[in-house]
Amino acid sequence: MTTQLPPGLQLEKVDERIMTLNVGPQHPGSGHMRLIVQVDGDYIVACDPDPGYVHRGEEKMCEYRNYITNIPHLERPVIHDSCNILYPYCLAVEEILGLEVPERAKYVRVIASELNRCVYTMYWLAIYGIFLGHSTMFMWPMGDRELLIDLLEKITGARVTHAYFVPGGVRNDLPANFEDVCLRQVNYFEKRIKEYADIFYDNPILISRTENTGILSRQDAIRLGTTGSVLRASGVDFDIRKKEPYDVYENLDFQTNVLQSGDSYARSKIPWLDMFESCRIIRDALRKMPKSGSVRVKLKPNPKGGDVEVYRRVESGRGALGMHVISKSKPEPYRVKISVGSFRNLICIPYLLRGEKLGNMPAVYWSLNYWPVEADR
Amino acid sequence: MGTASGIIKALNSGIKHLAVKRFTLRYPEQKLKFVGDGYQYDPTTGVGIAGYKGRHILFHDKCTGCQLCAIACEGVAEAIAMVKVNENWKHNKKAIMPQIDYGKCVFCGLCVDACPFYALYMTNDYELSSFTKEGLIYTPSQLQVKPHVQQDAEIQIDDRGASHG
Repeated sequence: MTTQLPPGLQLEKVDERIMTLNVGPQHPGSGHMRLIVQVDGDYIVACDPDPGYVHRGEEKMCEYRNYITNIPHLERPVIHDSCNILYPYCLAVEEILGLEVPERAKYVRVIASELNRCVYTMYWLAIYGIFLGHSTMFMWPMGDRELLIDLLEKITGARVTHAYFVPGGVRNDLPANFEDVCLRQVNYFEKRIKEYADIFYDNPILISRTENTGILSRQDAIRLGTTGSVLRASGVDFDIRKKEPYDVYENLDFQTNVLQSGDSYARSKIPWLDMFESCRIIRDALRKMPKSGSVRVKLKPNPKGGDVEVYRRVESGRGALGMHVISKSKPEPYRVKISVGSFRNLICIPYLLRGEKLGNMPAVYWSLNYWPVEADR
Repeated sequence: MGTASGIIKALNSGIKHLAVKRFTLRYPEQKLKFVGDGYQYDPTTGVGIAGYKGRHILFHDKCTGCQLCAIACEGVAEAIAMVKVNENWKHNKKAIMPQIDYGKCVFCGLCVDACPFYALYMTNDYELSSFTKEGLIYTPSQLQVKPHVQQDAEIQIDDRGASHG
């Protein structure tokens, strides 16, 4: 007699050639997510990403808190890039509440968000280095990241989870003599990341491991809806800071980096090139910033908006980051939908890994600039 | 560029760093210097004053027991509870003041933004570890104490690289 097993527990048909391999969800291999990889010998025949292990219900939590108390928990999905994840929320809520942000606050926001983008990229670069077995590339970015964390700590008062952006500006003004310290440390930081070329990006060992692996064509990148560094590495010139400039990005002097090859090497190089542009933006913003003035609009307690919905998006360290906020004349938002770059880039993993060697999996997977916690929200 | 010369270049880049200063902060001996005396907030202008967001400091002569800090914390961490104090103040008839549970606090500083009487600020003190959960709950009298911190390490940059002094 055969017993009927409940769905999900039924025995899988075992093919003798194909083996299923779970990578993750333990943290060291893949971040907080699982890649279900099917291998034929050393070659990957199929890969199914399985996110959702760190779902925190951020969107639902937003519905029970007012516009200000939403700030500390909204930055939790990606604590290393917390200014950029709060940016679209603040832009959307300002539109709902009808706030006019002071000019100086816009520049301060740009500086903080660019510093934060570099902090995130350095963290990602360190992880990418160690997963390719390059432990020097783990130590250097982690050390040099300290220069920028120190600057952010001076501005916001916290090393990570700054809770710095609020609807209507920023929490506090820059400290005294900040410009000199910032210029000195950013210039030194730029000099340091230039040195990464010799040891990492021009290193023949890295190039042989990442070049021509996980190629995403220009058509596929557009069709799959990828964003950020993945899209720009496949030859599409799309950066929201340029295409839909928010705050003062249209006044600032920078360019977008585009590479054509679409392989892991190009995907890993784009964020590094973007850091040079971030340094340029910071220097330019410090020069053009109004020297004095208010940085925050004074808000009533529990501000209410009208019956409106607003969608705003910004360019984060991982691509487009959008927030759709619906207000129904209450102090709490009716609905907040968060659209993150990590989740949108996840969809191309099955396409990139098919036919690759298993040993190339970390090189391809980590090149996507993927942050599992953000993808799960 | 040939493979051999590329590898030599990469090795050379690493070897050069033998002469570069160590960037590590030697923590218990050295402590980072922060801006000012901690995060503060000016309710008249509605703008904060830059500083580190560490343990709070409560000024008993200014606190009116209005509970606005506890209300601000409700949606964030629920770390603040209003407790009775054995003190007689003309401006605090109910004699209640905030008590902060640092097991819950996320150091966002929204309670400081909520205080309209300049009574609650944050300080540079971040060494709050305790062997018990109860030890993390700071009563109003503990919050009154000004922290004794010695933080003087700063990032210094010269020709031989950056270091913490």
